[in-house]
Amino acid sequence: MLFNSYVFLFGFLPPVLVGCWALRHKNLRLLFLTLASWAFYAWWDWRFLPLMLSTTTVDYIAALMIHRTDVARRRNMWLVGSLAVNLGLLGYFKYAGFFLNSLNGIGKAIGAPVGLPDLHILLPIGISFYTFNSMSYTIDVWRKRVEPTKHILEYTTFVALFPHLIAGPIVRFVDLQPQLRAPRPKLTSEAAGVGAYFFTCGLVKKLLLADQLSPHVDALFANSTHLGFVGSWAAAIGYALQLYFDFSGYSDMAVGLAWLIGFRFPQNFNSPYKAVNVSDFWRRWHMSLSAWFRDYLFIPLGGSRRGPKRTVVNLVVTMFLAGLWHGAAWTFVVWGLVHGLALGVHGVLKNLGLTPKSVLVNRVVTFLYVVAAFVIFRAPNLHVAGTILWRMLGTAGVESWSTLQAFMPGRFVVLLLGLLVFAQFAPNTWELKLRPRLVYGLATGVAAAVAVMSIAVPHPFIYFQF
Amino acid sequence: MESSFPTSPTEGVPGSVADPTESERLHRNLTPAIAELEDPRGFFRYAVATLAALAVALGAVLTFNAIVDPFSLIGWRIVPPAVETDRSIKLDLIGKLTTNPQVVVLGSSRSRQAEPTFIDTLTGLKTGFNAGVTGGDAADAWVMVRNIAARFPRGKRAYIWFVDYKLATEGINPQLAEDPHSRPYLGNRSVSFSLADVGTYLGFQATEASYRVVKACIEGHCHGRVAYNADGSLKGAALKFLPEDAPSLKASVAEKLAAVKHQPRRLPPFTSNQFTYFDDALAFMNAHGATPVIVLNPLYPSVYRFLQKRHSQRDAEALAELHKLQKRYRFAVVDCSNIHVWGGKARDFNNATHVNRRNMRRMLRYIVAHSDGALTR
Repeated sequence: MLFNSYVFLFGFLPPVLVGCWALRHKNLRLLFLTLASWAFYAWWDWRFLPLMLSTTTVDYIAALMIHRTDVARRRNMWLVGSLAVNLGLLGYFKYAGFFLNSLNGIGKAIGAPVGLPDLHILLPIGISFYTFNSMSYTIDVWRKRVEPTKHILEYTTFVALFPHLIAGPIVRFVDLQPQLRAPRPKLTSEAAGVGAYFFTCGLVKKLLLADQLSPHVDALFANSTHLGFVGSWAAAIGYALQLYFDFSGYSDMAVGLAWLIGFRFPQNFNSPYKAVNVSDFWRRWHMSLSAWFRDYLFIPLGGSRRGPKRTVVNLVVTMFLAGLWHGAAWTFVVWGLVHGLALGVHGVLKNLGLTPKSVLVNRVVTFLYVVAAFVIFRAPNLHVAGTILWRMLGTAGVESWSTLQAFMPGRFVVLLLGLLVFAQFAPNTWELKLRPRLVYGLATGVAAAVAVMSIAVPHPFIYFQF
Repeated sequence: MESSFPTSPTEGVPGSVADPTESERLHRNLTPAIAELEDPRGFFRYAVATLAALAVALGAVLTFNAIVDPFSLIGWRIVPPAVETDRSIKLDLIGKLTTNPQVVVLGSSRSRQAEPTFIDTLTGLKTGFNAGVTGGDAADAWVMVRNIAARFPRGKRAYIWFVDYKLATEGINPQLAEDPHSRPYLGNRSVSFSLADVGTYLGFQATEASYRVVKACIEGHCHGRVAYNADGSLKGAALKFLPEDAPSLKASVAEKLAAVKHQPRRLPPFTSNQFTYFDDALAFMNAHGATPVIVLNPLYPSVYRFLQKRHSQRDAEALAELHKLQKRYRFAVVDCSNIHVWGGKARDFNNATHVNRRNMRRMLRYIVAHSDGALTR
């Protein structure tokens, strides 16, 4: 079920809001939210619901067992068991086909065909997100940073809560625990107003901005060999903006929905294209994921405590795995490595005092680098990515006027330039000062209505595939 | 060396601290500057205004579109729908036929240039009826065939059926489903106005169509200008107002090529259920002694050439189905997709997929000559 679908907006959300606030008793409300979230998940494909329930059960038990004993070996054993189940399922559903195909490819290339079966495994939607949510919980319990909950409904609600279930933000138990333990007694007008504001911002970003860019960007990427300098840059910048408005739109909707059902989620985007270096970019882009990788991978690997060389290695390893998290394809692996190397190089240059002093130069360089890297992220394969990146250097010259007219209609150009300026200079959803005046309320309602009118053919969110 | 990653769980989050207490964690989630949070009444007004504006705006759009009913999903017919009403017109004309049509033309708008009188001169048959309708698929053909058969149960008929991949049915046209002449033949497979249609009438596309319809009525040409003769052929005056008659053939071809290029490489394959109406229609025709002539629709030459190079999944599926059915039913296939085979002219297209009357006559001559006697007495 998509947030931007009629069935969600008019069929699912209203009864869930009514049910959630009608049930004052904590247990009843958590049970209701858990069941509603499972129904939300099962709407996509009920056969994968048991998979989510099994990881939920395993991690719930593992956390309690870890907490119960002080014997290091037993604690480690339960943690390893929990991680093995989570990573095993993630590995099978997301990566098994990719690795077998890669092994077949390598075998063929070196003249020793392996002949491994070609697996066609359907990727359970949201598995990357709920697995990471769940793993952070057992690791935090193992680290004694959080006490496990004995209340199973608190845990099932934490894992399955529908606003974050499919595409994040990746929420930590430590963030939600107080809210689960003492749910809000009633929906206040503040929460309703803030929730409506965030949800509308998300709808507008997704439906009226990202989805309007989508067909033009798709056409540009599909015709990469016909593009010149202008078209290839338009494709790259267009996709960077589409991805930002699509995913930050989803995150805003998730935050808004959380407010409407009495929860608060952390910020996931903070004007990433205003970043002044790649490190800053990762503090602003998909913040919940980068924080997850920092806390559960980069720091355990040694972080930046073991000297410059090791720091660079840790960064590259972390970003390699962050790239792979996005999908089982070489494009994501290379995209992660490109960012890992950039983080490492930036760290070295910064230590040597060789980074530019001008904020403007830093911002422009960072933006162009990030945009170019997104070409690898978006392209169907490395060959197409290489073609577009090569043409972005001007190697194919500038397109003819007729080609530009064919691929870049005026509406697209205006939208592209407008959103480019907007992403660079305008405040983001979290920075806007929400003034609860009548006229702003009316404007929010009309904006939501206009967005809903463009739903007719719902486009899935880009991050649903991860 | 400094870490390039944020070094604390909350670094990079405005207003955050390294080791947040519970209240601070909640504060971190409240980052958006809510200037007047201390004024609950303000937020109440804001929330109510948002909900009210949303409800009023969507309600107004839905009411407007439901009254105009541009896609004829409800069937008020207060004003003519934006889509052509030729299904109902043709079914009404069938009801008024006085003699059995010896040849029946079936298909989509691509078939409606076929004149039964011209076919009669080629075949020596005496009467005919063009039952082709806009966007017509196998379900439309099935209903037309059954209505004619019900009107003239003992009459023998030949059939020319212009097809493309639409020999599969991708959902029954609501107009067809709503027409009282269709219902007996659609059984429980028909559709009626449903919740999904509420979504359709909340959308921009429907609103634009409603606006066009209302504007046309205000400007004085409320009723459609595409009219039909008693044999289902287009009236001469209607030829100037055909929606497929593109202002620029070149632009229409370029648009079609772009659409073909951008269509997804892989679509969900047709299911066997989607061919049910096609199967049923062939079986019915054969059972009544007819050997239908299935004509593969022509395409503008550059579009045809492009599709020859790029595998079209839908066309391949339709052809595979035809090959499969040839073992079970009697029918002749005449492939007219390449206009050079039947002497067509590129200039005699209304748009990239619709031929004009001159090309249609050329094509009919070829069809009659290559129909293995199925169209001659």
